[in-house]
Amino acid sequence: MKCHIPGPNVKVLGRTIHALARFGDELYLESSPDAILLRTLNAAESAYAMIKFNKVFFSYFNYNFYSTDDKEGLKCKISMKSALNAFKSPTHMDKQVENLEIKLDPESCKLIFIVKCKHGIVKTHFVSILDCKAMQAVYSKDLVHSRITCSQKIFTEALGNFQSSDDQVTIEANSNSFIIRNYIDCNIDLTKVIRTQINIKPTEFDSYVIGTETIITFTLKEFKALLGFAEALSLPLQLQFEITGKPVVFIVHNGTTFEAHFVLATSKPDTNTQASSTQNSSAVKRKRKEVHIKSNSPIKKKLHLDVDLSKYLDEDSHLFNYIDIPIEKDLNNIDELVHNKTTGSQSILHDNMECDNIIPASPTSKIKIKAIFKRCFESTFDPRSIQGLVLAENSDSE
Amino acid sequence: MDSGKTLCSLIKAIQFQECAVFCAMQEGLKLTVEEGKCVQASAYIPADNFNEYHVRDDVDVMFKISIAVLTECLNIFGSAEESSLKMYYRCEGSPLLLVLQPQSFSNVMTDCEISTQTAESVLELRDEDTEEVAKLVLKAPAFLSLLVDMEKTCDIIEINLSPEHPNVSIVTYGMQDRSCIDMPKSSDMVQSFNCEKSVTLKYQLQHIRLIMKALAVSSKVVLRCSSNGLLLLQLKLEKEDQRQMFSEFYIVPLLDD
Repeated sequence: MKCHIPGPNVKVLGRTIHALARFGDELYLESSPDAILLRTLNAAESAYAMIKFNKVFFSYFNYNFYSTDDKEGLKCKISMKSALNAFKSPTHMDKQVENLEIKLDPESCKLIFIVKCKHGIVKTHFVSILDCKAMQAVYSKDLVHSRITCSQKIFTEALGNFQSSDDQVTIEANSNSFIIRNYIDCNIDLTKVIRTQINIKPTEFDSYVIGTETIITFTLKEFKALLGFAEALSLPLQLQFEITGKPVVFIVHNGTTFEAHFVLATSKPDTNTQASSTQNSSAVKRKRKEVHIKSNSPIKKKLHLDVDLSKYLDEDSHLFNYIDIPIEKDLNNIDELVHNKTTGSQSILHDNMECDNIIPASPTSKIKIKAIFKRCFESTFDPRSIQGLVLAENSDSE
Repeated sequence: MDSGKTLCSLIKAIQFQECAVFCAMQEGLKLTVEEGKCVQASAYIPADNFNEYHVRDDVDVMFKISIAVLTECLNIFGSAEESSLKMYYRCEGSPLLLVLQPQSFSNVMTDCEISTQTAESVLELRDEDTEEVAKLVLKAPAFLSLLVDMEKTCDIIEINLSPEHPNVSIVTYGMQDRSCIDMPKSSDMVQSFNCEKSVTLKYQLQHIRLIMKALAVSSKVVLRCSSNGLLLLQLKLEKEDQRQMFSEFYIVPLLDD
């Protein structure tokens, strides 16, 4: 593979790499006869991003520059850190960079980024290739019924109201209202969290089509990253989603040169707590009572969780399939973990509640330790009382 | 001195150790800091920067002073305020006296006394016998942007200078990757280039990064490599009134195993 990218487009590529860096730690590169694809997957395998640069994005493009016989393009995985290194400061990159050349060195197995800068400076980055396989996520787009197109500004402004500690957002969409709110874990003390909810009128969006009413929850970190990407390139954003459990796809494209897909897995919100969270007029006292009741009946709650989680398992998205090795390490594992954690914390809560009723006695020191030096505390010590084997014999008498 | 601001920014640029050796000579003031006998940085303020400058020539005026305290005192009216500065020092053991007067208020004055310590000897890294093998004059802002873009996690920086193209090449080694910056002598940022035969020198990137603060306030940098590998960087800071202040960095090379 060998390609040249003109100066203004280098900035776009730099922005892309920076956005992808907020998703995953590894970058997959793949070249096909008419495009280059960059993909990444986050560590929890719940977010995926794919950006496709078409041939017209480049000033020179040859997808199999070195390989003469086989018609296969490049497939490789590099560390995101080294990719970032080549695109250190994307904001003023277009002022300095005249041309970027990316090529594969088949002998040393390195990917080479040659950056030609102003002042005749040439920066060459030799990036090691970690792996030679491709990765692809399975998701559907264009077939889904719910689609929203808008400028990223609406979301950026809405997210500005959220707390920095929020890590997930819930979108509740039906044909005449669009609500975005922070997701609150059912185990958190409701008196200590701030709930934010923003209602956006469907008329604010450029286009708004909702097939089925749905509530989806996804991570905020990746959402912010892709909004930043859309903002940097000032391009509109398209959301495509189905129902809870199916992934939500964000699309940013500028017609002919490139197309970016950001896929986030969605999870089902705990309907009980979310419903109660909308009644924000209730007094603090009442909320406390609520928590109290919940923790006093852990068995009932557990049952409820079990039902809920088994639903999760069916509904959560099976996003990713590797082409080379099919790894079915899906969200199931994570859900099981979550399950264990939630039930665990429930029982701890329960224990604490019991402790409140019965004042525990102060802990007494363990007898075990005392017994080691037991003989010291006896009234007299008689060496003859030790019988049996002599463990260490007397040393030679002088 | 009419304004202590430039002086303050120059002193801050070499602030990577707590204490500096303050040395007043007939030619000017010099503050020197050392980092583990590998890097020696000095700020040099020629006497013509001062409106009035008197130093006794029969004794060595040399003492140790805390840089943090000195910069704080120079900045006592805030960084936005220009203030005139007077410095006094009587004899060994006596404090350094600073009198600062802001230009916008007429009746305010600060009198700072900074206690001093007896100076230890300063490393003499320069060896008169070794010859200079290469000299390179670069624009400081451009050189700074190169250093900023370098990966922080790299340990070693290799500087290759040669009379053939590309004349300057800087290689950094990271965990698994290698980056290389080539710069021909025809480049705009290279103002002069003297090199008879090619040399390869290795330094700790961490040491080179110490000059970044000084580069940010300077306009020009001169790199001098001597035959024993010692790198001397001389940075020129140009003030609005055409007068100049300098900072100097001696960096000891890494030796091949």
